[in-house]
Amino acid sequence: MTSIILLSIFGILNLFMGFMRSNKVLLPGAMLLLLAVFGANLADWNVVHAPYFNNMLVVDNYTVAFTGIVVLTTIVLLPFSRSYVVAGETNLAEYYALLLFSLVGAVMMIGYNHLIMLFVGIEILSISMYVLAGSSKRDSRSNEAALKYFLMGAFATGILLFGIALLYGATGTFVLSDLAGAVAAPENASLQPMLYIGILMMIIGIGFKVSAAPFHFWTPDVYEGTPTFFTAFMSTVVKTAGFAAFLKLLAVALPGAQGFWLPTIQAMCALTLLLGNVGAAVQTSTKRMLAYSSVSHAGYLLIGLVASRGNLTGDAASGIFFYSLAYSIATIAAFGVLKLVADHRQRDDYAALNGLGKTNPLLAFSMTVAMLSLAGIPLTGGFFGKFFLLAAAAGQGYIGLVVFAVIMSMVGLYYYLRPLIAMYLRPAEEGATPVPVDGIQTATLALLALLSIVLGIVPGFLSGIL
Amino acid sequence: MLTAVLLFLPLAAALLLLFIKGAAARALALGASLLEFGLAVYAAFAFKATGTVAFNLNYAWISSAGINFHLGLDGLSLLLVLLTTFLVPLILLSAFKHKYDNPSTFYALVLFMQTGLLGVFMSLDAFLFYFFWEVALIPIYFLAGAWGGERRVAVTLKFFLYTVVGSLLMLAGFVYLYLQTGPAAGSLAQHSSELSAFYSLKLSAAEQSWLFWLIFAAFAVKMPIFPFHTWQPDTYTEAPAPATMLLSGIMLKMGIYGTMRWLLPVLPLGVSQWGFLVVILSVIGIIYGAIIAIRQRDLKRLIAYSSLSHVGLMAAGVFSLTQIGLQGVVIQMLAHGVNVVGMFFVADAIERRTGTRYIPDLGGLTRRTPILSVCFLVMLLSTVALPLTGGFVGEFLLLAGVYQYNAWVGAVAGLTIIFSAVYLLRMFQRVMLGPDSAFSETITDLTGSELLILVPLIALVFWLGLFPNSFLHISEPAVINLLSLVGR
Amino acid sequence: MRPKPVGATFALQRLLVLLRSNLTAMLLVLPAANYQPSDYLPILIQFGLALAFVAFAMIVSHLVGPKRNSTVKDASFECGIESVGNARTPISVKYFLTAIVFVLFDVEVIFMYPWAVNFRALGNDGFIAMILFMFFLLAGFAYIIKKGILRWNEA
Repeated sequence: MTSIILLSIFGILNLFMGFMRSNKVLLPGAMLLLLAVFGANLADWNVVHAPYFNNMLVVDNYTVAFTGIVVLTTIVLLPFSRSYVVAGETNLAEYYALLLFSLVGAVMMIGYNHLIMLFVGIEILSISMYVLAGSSKRDSRSNEAALKYFLMGAFATGILLFGIALLYGATGTFVLSDLAGAVAAPENASLQPMLYIGILMMIIGIGFKVSAAPFHFWTPDVYEGTPTFFTAFMSTVVKTAGFAAFLKLLAVALPGAQGFWLPTIQAMCALTLLLGNVGAAVQTSTKRMLAYSSVSHAGYLLIGLVASRGNLTGDAASGIFFYSLAYSIATIAAFGVLKLVADHRQRDDYAALNGLGKTNPLLAFSMTVAMLSLAGIPLTGGFFGKFFLLAAAAGQGYIGLVVFAVIMSMVGLYYYLRPLIAMYLRPAEEGATPVPVDGIQTATLALLALLSIVLGIVPGFLSGIL
Repeated sequence: MLTAVLLFLPLAAALLLLFIKGAAARALALGASLLEFGLAVYAAFAFKATGTVAFNLNYAWISSAGINFHLGLDGLSLLLVLLTTFLVPLILLSAFKHKYDNPSTFYALVLFMQTGLLGVFMSLDAFLFYFFWEVALIPIYFLAGAWGGERRVAVTLKFFLYTVVGSLLMLAGFVYLYLQTGPAAGSLAQHSSELSAFYSLKLSAAEQSWLFWLIFAAFAVKMPIFPFHTWQPDTYTEAPAPATMLLSGIMLKMGIYGTMRWLLPVLPLGVSQWGFLVVILSVIGIIYGAIIAIRQRDLKRLIAYSSLSHVGLMAAGVFSLTQIGLQGVVIQMLAHGVNVVGMFFVADAIERRTGTRYIPDLGGLTRRTPILSVCFLVMLLSTVALPLTGGFVGEFLLLAGVYQYNAWVGAVAGLTIIFSAVYLLRMFQRVMLGPDSAFSETITDLTGSELLILVPLIALVFWLGLFPNSFLHISEPAVINLLSLVGR
Repeated sequence: MRPKPVGATFALQRLLVLLRSNLTAMLLVLPAANYQPSDYLPILIQFGLALAFVAFAMIVSHLVGPKRNSTVKDASFECGIESVGNARTPISVKYFLTAIVFVLFDVEVIFMYPWAVNFRALGNDGFIAMILFMFFLLAGFAYIIKKGILRWNEA
């Protein structure tokens, strides 16, 4: 709860900080504010709070853990907005404020205990993202991304809201814990069609937000058009919060309807893995590849939902937490490097990375760790993320799904290696100069690589916390 | 504790190397690897060959899942640790001969690789084993990819995909086995990935049947066994010489070691079901590698195919499941490691002097290079398995084992000696003897520092050939243990 | 533009409004607890009727109405004056901003009504909450003014 209050106040504070003469203080200011939020959030760990607002919002370890991920992700993302500071972007304060506001939405999605709270959270998050997707006003691709994202997102939200309404109609409650009883209650049996359609619509709505197939089609275009800085935010924070909300919905509210949603999620999972990985393999732009790769990671996270079996604690939930963290860290590093390189070399295909190992060893190293982590190679956090999720699913007997996921991660190897090949095995263009990187970005990239490796070597300290 | 030092010393040196340049980097790399070898020798002397695991080191790694950081050495591991620590300084020395870009990074990757290899040989926990298995892959990918020849991009990609696909299958197999285990004593986790927990599993024959291929996939690709070998000649040829030596001298042994430690005792029924098929595949590999080697005109490629042929015999020996055959594998692993590194080093020495490794361009090199010729011949004859050399002991025991297993297979496998004599001696004749070539007058003989590399190798070749017992008695209890587990 | 048969349409629309209010009344008097799917039948009928009327009106006016085309008739016009230029010209974003700000402050009043009605019941907590709400709202207002959104003459 403190994190929501602080984020809201800091967001407004940021808006007014924009009226200062120089925008040099904005970046360190925003980072400090977020660090304060991160600390305040961690202080809630293992502290029991009564539910807030008439049982609409709960702060428990689950909330703290996932809030920690989204706040941390945003902190390490911020340094890559340096180019805006340098270019004297006039709306920088608004960008930061919108990021903070969307974090409020993310925290609400994570901590909700009431379907209306979920809806409000998703809307706060999404509306900020619609604006940020179009923040590059003169770029027609950014405009296209914003419009597409807005139109389709609005549609998905509508469907989600309809689903909530149907669920309410069938059960008479919005509160998650009451829903669990009402879904299973025999006196509601006659309303099952309504209930099932409601659940399906909610799955569609949230599935859209986390870009799970077959509701992923917007992802590549939107990710490509959105300025890279905000793409990184979209593919990490939005996804993490979305999955935290998804898991909570299925595990707390709908375990009684498991027979209905489990096959649905399984089918979505297989389809997402297939389309994400195969789609990524045929891309020529690094950014589009990362977009498809984020779809494929939604697939791996869906395995966690399948394996959770209506449990908010235990292997699968811990696995989703660990995976989200490892994925966020690696994705921020990948997009961060890509942004720096693309800003300097004015292109974002694989060839843009050519010879980076020579010109910028640190950028190349950071990208390497990120790619290996996303591919799930040991020594990186991504490996243990996949391992925990797949082991949890195998432990529940979903052998077929696990085998399919393993095969798909082999496909993943192919496209994650391509940036590495470009960076180390291909020479840079004639007269290529090193990409300029300032101190704080260097430190952040080193930190991200270190975090990935630490998660890959001693995963024990975060593996079973939920 | 010793095992931990053995494991982390090269890693620490590798990390330091990232910040050091020039001569200091060489000194540090070499010093660290020699110190490492010293430690391994100390371990060998402190080791009592009783069949138990010595130098145990066991910490909870991921306690919630029952996964431990468990290292230890038995006779089998110890010999491979010795081989690794013995070869790495020599490989580093040979790397000093080249002018690589970013040499410090190159040495760091070699040492990093050493950590991975030692981890594979020492880990007694399935997921730790898998972890190091992949850790060993990353540096060799960059070594071969960044410093390799012209076709390196495609070749290393193929190599990487082959091996990773294989190891992912192995991981899937391990996860399945892990989920069948019960909790370890005193652990809160539901399962355990300890080696001993895997050994005490009782699985049905049907389960073992498909698990066998999941796990064997990784080992078969790494060795490699026909028909999983297609990455091997390309990668050996395109990789820079030190990386080739790492690949052929040590990394290949990972596959054989893995089969002996993680496949035979864990899935005995699967092994008895599929063993014969694997032996047949191995024998096909022997003949296939040899025939292709005869036709090769590239020096490195020829040695690569020769290695393929010899590995086939080792694989057949592993699946013969006889004590004599497995002991043969142990000795041959050491002998082959020494031989193939020596051969690749000589080939590299010739290439550095002449700028080519195309056999028809070479010839008549002996006149100016008596020492080089002698060294080359020793390495070559050991590979051909001439008595007095390490290769002879290994191949003899192997053939005896395979013959016990099946006389017909043994007879065909015996062809490996004849074939290797044909292609290796023919190669020697065309490269070193034969009509003079453009290089006959200009080529220079081995320098002192090059001899520094070859002399220890040659010494070991003869040591293995004359006193094989000094190694065999270390591995004997481990091999007997292994066979008793297979026979359970 | 062709003149439409206004009289008939108007009568039908009146009829429909009547019907709709009656149906709504019928639905409202039903006891809340035991709805049956068949209770929704009137809604379905109304829906069908609405659709059918649209189709009917369109088809009949198409069939019955006289068709006489001429260039003058087909030309587009606005308020009886001939149109000039394209309708899709850029409009100053100021209009849009002002409209949005208006909507914002308009909707905010909706919040005040229930609060005012339940003022006593909500007590001190409600008062504090409303103060906070007003503070945020005014902060936004201050931001808008500071940003110069309401200054019309500046770029």
